[in-house]
Amino acid sequence: MRQRPGVVLVAGFGGLLLIMAAAEAGALLFLNSLRHNDTALQARFLARNRTLERIRSNIYLSGTFVRDSLLAPELSGAQAQLTTLDGLRRDSESALNNYAAALEPEEAAPFQDLRSQIEAYWKVLDRTFAWTAEERDKYRYAFFYEELVPRRTSMLQIADRIEALNEEALRRGDVKLGDLFGRLQFGLLAMIALTLLGGATLAAFTIFHILRLEAEVQQRLKESVHSQASLQELSARLVRAQEEERRALSRELHDEAAQAFSAVLMEAENLLDLDPAPEVRAHLDSIRGVAEKGMNEIRNMALLLRPSMLDDFGLLPALEWQAREIGKRTGLRVQVTSEMSGELPEEHKTCVYRVVQEALNNCAQHAQASAAQVSVRHQAGQILLTVQDDGSGFDPERVRGLGLLGMEERARHLGGTFHIDSRPGRGTLLRVTLPLAAMFEPPKDSNRLAAREPLLDTAVVLNGGLADGPDSHSAG
Amino acid sequence: MAPIRILLADDHNILRDGMRLLLERQPGFLVVGEAADGRETLQLAQDQHPDVVVMDIAMPNMNGIEATRRIVEKHPHIGVVILSMHHDESYVIRSLKAGARAYLLKDAVKAELILAIEAVVDGRSFFSPKVSRILQEDYFQALGRKDADDTYDLLTDREREILQMIAEGKTNKEVANTLNLSLYTVDTHRTHILQKLNLHSVPELILYAVRKGIIS
Repeated sequence: MRQRPGVVLVAGFGGLLLIMAAAEAGALLFLNSLRHNDTALQARFLARNRTLERIRSNIYLSGTFVRDSLLAPELSGAQAQLTTLDGLRRDSESALNNYAAALEPEEAAPFQDLRSQIEAYWKVLDRTFAWTAEERDKYRYAFFYEELVPRRTSMLQIADRIEALNEEALRRGDVKLGDLFGRLQFGLLAMIALTLLGGATLAAFTIFHILRLEAEVQQRLKESVHSQASLQELSARLVRAQEEERRALSRELHDEAAQAFSAVLMEAENLLDLDPAPEVRAHLDSIRGVAEKGMNEIRNMALLLRPSMLDDFGLLPALEWQAREIGKRTGLRVQVTSEMSGELPEEHKTCVYRVVQEALNNCAQHAQASAAQVSVRHQAGQILLTVQDDGSGFDPERVRGLGLLGMEERARHLGGTFHIDSRPGRGTLLRVTLPLAAMFEPPKDSNRLAAREPLLDTAVVLNGGLADGPDSHSAG
Repeated sequence: MAPIRILLADDHNILRDGMRLLLERQPGFLVVGEAADGRETLQLAQDQHPDVVVMDIAMPNMNGIEATRRIVEKHPHIGVVILSMHHDESYVIRSLKAGARAYLLKDAVKAELILAIEAVVDGRSFFSPKVSRILQEDYFQALGRKDADDTYDLLTDREREILQMIAEGKTNKEVANTLNLSLYTVDTHRTHILQKLNLHSVPELILYAVRKGIIS
């Protein structure tokens, strides 16, 4: 289906070119044959004319000979004259035969007439040679004027008629050539018209096809842009949904599952208070141990899923917790600085937190860094986040792990930018900017504890700076 | 001697029941009320005149930190013991800044809870050993991060002595009596200590002392 327009186009253009070439070749051949015909016609006319002239001059000459020999006083050299006359006669015969070879139909009758008259003429002439001297004296004038001259005149008239007919044939040939030329002209005109029509059709088809292709390409482009946008939207929604789920799961683990262990612990304490038998006490101790372990594990799991400080106190406490956690776990020294006024929108907060989490994990795991600096600040209507480490660095052109892609994806979802400046042996500087909406207000539910108490300004207490605490080198 | 009046604030019934059982078996302890959220806690603190509130942080209708701030503001004599699942310093610090005097983790054994309640009634502070350790670890980590000089070195021996006593919950008068100093001198020392350590209130001073391991 997709190939058909192409086939049509190739066939169309090829056909058009073939038609044009054929038309030109045909016209050339035709012209050539016309010229050839014309030449042949002329040559034939001339040749026939010459033959007629020959016949005519033979008649004249023979007449003149006969007259001279008749009028000569002596009958001398008759034999020589006879020979000459015989030559003229034979020449005339051959000329007549020549002419007869290509006779126009209308010439047939006069020609036959001419021939018979000539033959008769020769016979009459022959007679004079048989005459005696007396007979010559007696008849020669009469013969000349009554026999020879009228016969000669009659023959010449016939020859003139034949010449006229010959001329007529030439004229007719010219007319025929003219007709042929006219047909050629018509043929050429028709060919030009046909070629133009074919060309126009082909052009129309081509234009239509090109326009359709263009429209198709436009449509495809639109579809591709659209599908890309919806893919991004989907991915953003997935990220949001994942975050929401983590938050819910984290809260559920922390507030419910861990609390249940806490209750078990408490009940074990209560039973221990009743001073049970040593065997029972051992079991209770074991229960207490298991409950305590379970509680701690669930608590850590909840924090890893999503630290409660992020929802309870905001971004900075969560980042500081993250810094402490990774410090305890890997020995990486992380310094967090923040120049932020007010709390960020939920999605921005989460984005910054997750990017920092991933970046610090990379610092510790892949870069073997010993120190990292995290900085978050407000700058010209956007949030600027940088994470710098003193680790081994890498070539960002070649290394593109899932973690980096994930960070970039998160920044993109919020219309932000993501840059990595790193070279092997030179550490890594990660830079993320996130634009803030013009009408940015601190979100109402930015704080989980506050959210449970929406009428009271708990945020003041929960987010209140601890500028003077030894841990708060990063006063917000 | 009148029993210690205790108000329990936690949104988990089983936990409250367990605590009530545990505390009431203790001579001299009386549970005067149970609240399942922050607002109820405020109301009961007003109505039941407790000496101590044992408070969870994660509660609906006003969280435990805000409830602590309001109770301490309105009834300075009520001691608040935070009993929470949260063991990060951000929660501990915010609780202390709100006026809580003790911070226990929910894996605390009975003995810790009783000690904490007794300490708070005496006007002293109390922290789960785990909490103290967390605060101290974080402090030393912060020191390492900042390469900061330890401001503790700036204090004189007398100032260190007084710092510990204040952190333990002693009043200026008690300190003056113990050390045989005038009230005015103790007050001056106290001002100097706060200045040198760049602290602004007694809760911060307590926090500092816990971190340094001066008290636990």
